[in-house]
Amino acid sequence: MKLIALMKKEFRRFFHDPRLIVTMLIPGLIIYLIYSILGDALWSKEQDTYSYKAYVAGESRLCEMINTAFGSDEFLIPAADEETARKEVEEGKADALIVFPQGFDEAVNAYVPSPGAKAPQIKIYYRAADTQSSAFYAAVTGILSAYEDSIANKFDIAADNFSSDSEIVGSVLGGMLPFLVVIFIFAACMSITLESVAGEKERGTLATILITSAKRSHVALGKVIPLSCISAIGATSSFLGVALSMPKLMGMNVGGFIGSVGFLGYFLLFLLILSVVPLIVSLVSVVSTYSKSVKEASAYTSVLMIITMVLSIVSTFVSGIGNWVVAIPVLNAVVCMQGVLTGSFSLWQSLVSVAVNIAFTALLVFAIAKMLSSERVMFGT
Amino acid sequence: METEVFAEVGDEIVRVEGITKTFTLSRKQKKIEKTAVDRKVAVDRLSFSAYKGQIYGLLGPNGAGKTTTLRILSTLIKPDSGDAFVCGQSVVKEPQKVRDKIGFMTSELKLDGFFTPDYLFDFFGNLHGVDGEVLKARKKELFSRFGIDRFSEVRVKDLSTGMKQKISLVVSIVHDPDVVIFDEPTNGLDVLTAKVVTDFLAELRAMGKSIILSTHIFSLVEKLCDRVGIIIDGKTVTDGTLQEVCAGETLEKRFFDIYGEVKGETV
Repeated sequence: MKLIALMKKEFRRFFHDPRLIVTMLIPGLIIYLIYSILGDALWSKEQDTYSYKAYVAGESRLCEMINTAFGSDEFLIPAADEETARKEVEEGKADALIVFPQGFDEAVNAYVPSPGAKAPQIKIYYRAADTQSSAFYAAVTGILSAYEDSIANKFDIAADNFSSDSEIVGSVLGGMLPFLVVIFIFAACMSITLESVAGEKERGTLATILITSAKRSHVALGKVIPLSCISAIGATSSFLGVALSMPKLMGMNVGGFIGSVGFLGYFLLFLLILSVVPLIVSLVSVVSTYSKSVKEASAYTSVLMIITMVLSIVSTFVSGIGNWVVAIPVLNAVVCMQGVLTGSFSLWQSLVSVAVNIAFTALLVFAIAKMLSSERVMFGT
Repeated sequence: METEVFAEVGDEIVRVEGITKTFTLSRKQKKIEKTAVDRKVAVDRLSFSAYKGQIYGLLGPNGAGKTTTLRILSTLIKPDSGDAFVCGQSVVKEPQKVRDKIGFMTSELKLDGFFTPDYLFDFFGNLHGVDGEVLKARKKELFSRFGIDRFSEVRVKDLSTGMKQKISLVVSIVHDPDVVIFDEPTNGLDVLTAKVVTDFLAELRAMGKSIILSTHIFSLVEKLCDRVGIIIDGKTVTDGTLQEVCAGETLEKRFFDIYGEVKGETV
């Protein structure tokens, strides 16, 4: 009954304050919007509606190649007069003029690279200051360079990518997402736990609760349980923001990725996140209970966050971490989440990690209860 | 000692037995107090008793150890040695049981300004395990008695200092405790609110409650207290009924006489 009263108070404090709700949910929404907009801008499949106007003087089989690349057999306009066409380009009435010298194809065929021998030349007139003219020049030189490479090559490489779209997304997300999730969880936990624990201690409202006959362990749990639930909402919001928008940012398929993780994968991800949230809330609560003010608690918690970030980054980029990692709280969840997202997870490792995190949470709650009973910690005597 | 023993008015309900409390001084505190010693004795083998249906006043200058004594009685801190018993329960060994018996009000303990008086009363009532119907009836009575009912749905942070003090008072006695402990109960209050509080203390006494208050206001002690203990430098220098302590003089004169004797200086 007393524990329920303590928990209800924390929930009420949060859910009756619109500012706190917005603070908790807005990061996920912002992440989703920014990543999605960036992704759309980067990977837009919309065709450019601009129509190039390019002249060609002289003849070559390369004209056909360029016409094909630009989607029309009559893309290049034969120049009636080279000088007039050049003037049009100069005045901005046309985007480019390509000049093939007479007998270009034959000269290319006959050309043998050797010291002193002059290679056949194509001349392109364009305006570097003009975006469209410059883009056309870049496209054409790309085509010509590819052709140049193909005739000089003695062998070709045939590349075939066996990875599916969802596997590529999984690999990218597997590395990035767990790290981001832990950071988002930490940020969510920090914002409300510091205020709720260190803030209450600083304002003297926590001591008022300690005067009542509520057990110290209930006071500790009355903070950790509701703050974990609230932090989980914030962390889930940020997680969804990243998980749904990152495939978009990378121009890949979200649906395929979701399907590839599967029910067990999602269940494990959920369990791992669920085990990390109360752990971090308890950790920040311990620091907040120990500190004399929110300012002091913020400073200590920032150090903890940096340590967690560094460990998470290390686990993201270092491969082949041994099974011992399950004994390290938070880090174990990062490694297991990476396994789930890349499809190489171990069920026992994930479950043991969850159990280890819960055990550490229980220890920290016990420490908070002890600290609440300590007059040195609570009243600085 | 058991609670049932203290059924009659005048029976001993609080007994403080030679409590001592020392605090470690920080570098800053040592500088302020101009001392080189690392520890300060806040309360030194202090003893006194309070009785059912009476008001006991702890009188002393700032830093005498009044607040430390009340904090020990309210189980917020523990004595280094000695013990205190509230309704027969030890503050050292059974702090949880003591908390059920006492109501403690001090300016150091605050109420969360985000909540309304109505919510806070219910919240603290639940923490003390007060039954729902009893809580409802008690809220109606106390809110009406202190004029809080008109502001019961206004957040505490938006209320005046006097009203906040009244809310702290009713919240501290939400569970109808046998012993009520007040640290400087009229500090910072305007004359009207101060009168409401002092009248209520007299009412509580009439209801058979035991009250321990700390103050340095002589008139408050003379007006309210049945017994008084004068504390100087953490020690009880005089303890008895108001008449015994005053010995035919005004309390103010007696206090300064005693202070001069103890400190060896004239004020």
